[in-house]
Amino acid sequence: MSSTPDIRPDRATDSGVFPHLRGNEPIISVRDLIVSYGDRKILKGTNLDIFSGETMVILGASGSGKSTLLRHIEGLAKPTSGSIFIKGVDICSASRKELMKIQRVLGVSFQSAAMFNSMTVGDNVALPLREHTKLAEPTIKLITKMKLQQVGLSGVEDLFPNQLSGGMKKRASVARALAMDPEILLFDEPSAGLDPIIAAGIDDLILLLKRAFKMTIVIVTHEMQSAYLIADRMCMLYQGEILAVGTVDEIRSHQHPRIRQFVDRVADNFDEGAQSYVTGFDS
Amino acid sequence: MNFLESIGHSSVEKVEYVGGLTIQFWRGLIASWRINPFTGSKLRWKMTLQQMAVIGVGALPVVCLIAGATGLIMALQGGAELRKFGAMEVVVNLVGTSMTRELGPLMAAIVVIGRSGSSISAEIGTMVVTEEIDALRTMALDPIEFVLVPKYVAMMTMMPCLTIVAVASGILAGGVFTYYSLDMTMSVYLQRTAEILLMRDIVSSMVKAVGFGTIIVHVGCFEGFNVTGGPEGVGRSTTNAVVKSIFLVVLADLVFTAFFYFFWQ
Repeated sequence: MSSTPDIRPDRATDSGVFPHLRGNEPIISVRDLIVSYGDRKILKGTNLDIFSGETMVILGASGSGKSTLLRHIEGLAKPTSGSIFIKGVDICSASRKELMKIQRVLGVSFQSAAMFNSMTVGDNVALPLREHTKLAEPTIKLITKMKLQQVGLSGVEDLFPNQLSGGMKKRASVARALAMDPEILLFDEPSAGLDPIIAAGIDDLILLLKRAFKMTIVIVTHEMQSAYLIADRMCMLYQGEILAVGTVDEIRSHQHPRIRQFVDRVADNFDEGAQSYVTGFDS
Repeated sequence: MNFLESIGHSSVEKVEYVGGLTIQFWRGLIASWRINPFTGSKLRWKMTLQQMAVIGVGALPVVCLIAGATGLIMALQGGAELRKFGAMEVVVNLVGTSMTRELGPLMAAIVVIGRSGSSISAEIGTMVVTEEIDALRTMALDPIEFVLVPKYVAMMTMMPCLTIVAVASGILAGGVFTYYSLDMTMSVYLQRTAEILLMRDIVSSMVKAVGFGTIIVHVGCFEGFNVTGGPEGVGRSTTNAVVKSIFLVVLADLVFTAFFYFFWQ
């Protein structure tokens, strides 16, 4: 146990941060976030800092609260209490106008891709440009084409989303998220429902975006292979609480039984072996 | 939960529903201003025109057929009774006033509820389930302005048009009856109808059309925006949209009719 790095949640601000990020103001700062639905507490006072230019992967089992945390960072829900600062603005207490202003620096790729089925792929990608800029239509078309090329989709502008495969839809949704050149890119389960080859393609795409644009990327996933490949830092959620925040190596070598169980992919409750695996660490 | 608790719970739910609808109505009204044809977004206008075609043009044949059949039924039923008193000519008054004041707007509303109210709810509900509404919000786009307002403006434009068509169809169908049973030519029939109709009848018809349209679009959108529980929830919201719209339209009809009865004699 003594080999466990000191990556307690309350030290999340400093721990594992790369030297070039250390001392920077976090671009996203979650403070004492509590989210409850009725009597059920989903997030129990979460604290997390994400720095500009880093890729943070939020890990956790189903129902651990990771998608809820992402929804709150996206400004899609109001917490029971607590704050989320994005570029210094508390989006939990911000007015609708302020929130919309902050949302313009976010690009979001949803688990289901969330492409508008009544519009062509090109119109989907062009939508934020048409709504938020005064660019001329030929310029918008050029940017749309460029964004689709960036995600490896050329010549699909005139197709409708239902004519694309699952992986292509995900890529198209990334192109739409990139349309306004966001500072922060948020992914909810980017490889969910995709075969390993397509999922690897999405991982490559995220790596490419990370290297090419130096964006702040936040990814919610439970795909460990993908997380190891993409993450600068990882955050492990369990039952609404952050168990640890650290680099890939720190999380991989962490001795907390739940993290070990997650990292080693061991089943819960189904057999005695698994039970003893978890309880063995507690004893 | 005891009896009193269940009454209280149900009352709170109803108040919440009406409150939610009212907030949505005002937000929709304010956002409608932002899509005016002179300074508003061209994209919204394109969507509004598409909605006008779906809500209005698409409903025309059914509205004509149903309102025409209603007008003919009114004439046949009224004629059967009025014949006993030798007052068959009164059928003209009966059909003209009842179609204009009451049945035209109501029949048009019922057709629009069946066609558009349900589809609005299903469309928005599906957008909620597939995270499209969330996607709009994360792109800093207001779903009320983007989704509701084009439908609302289209409904406000098309509902009075459909009501006029419904009234005309009903009256013309009544004319077919009088032509065969009273040997009254269509021009005489129409002239007499024009004589008996008052400005009050036409105004009440248009007020009802606007009121019914508002109810249909807002109930449909509200049910859609509040879908929970995946595809099953979409089905439930569609049923709710139709049932609640019919109930509220009939209730609004009663209020409008009472208002015109007492305040514009």
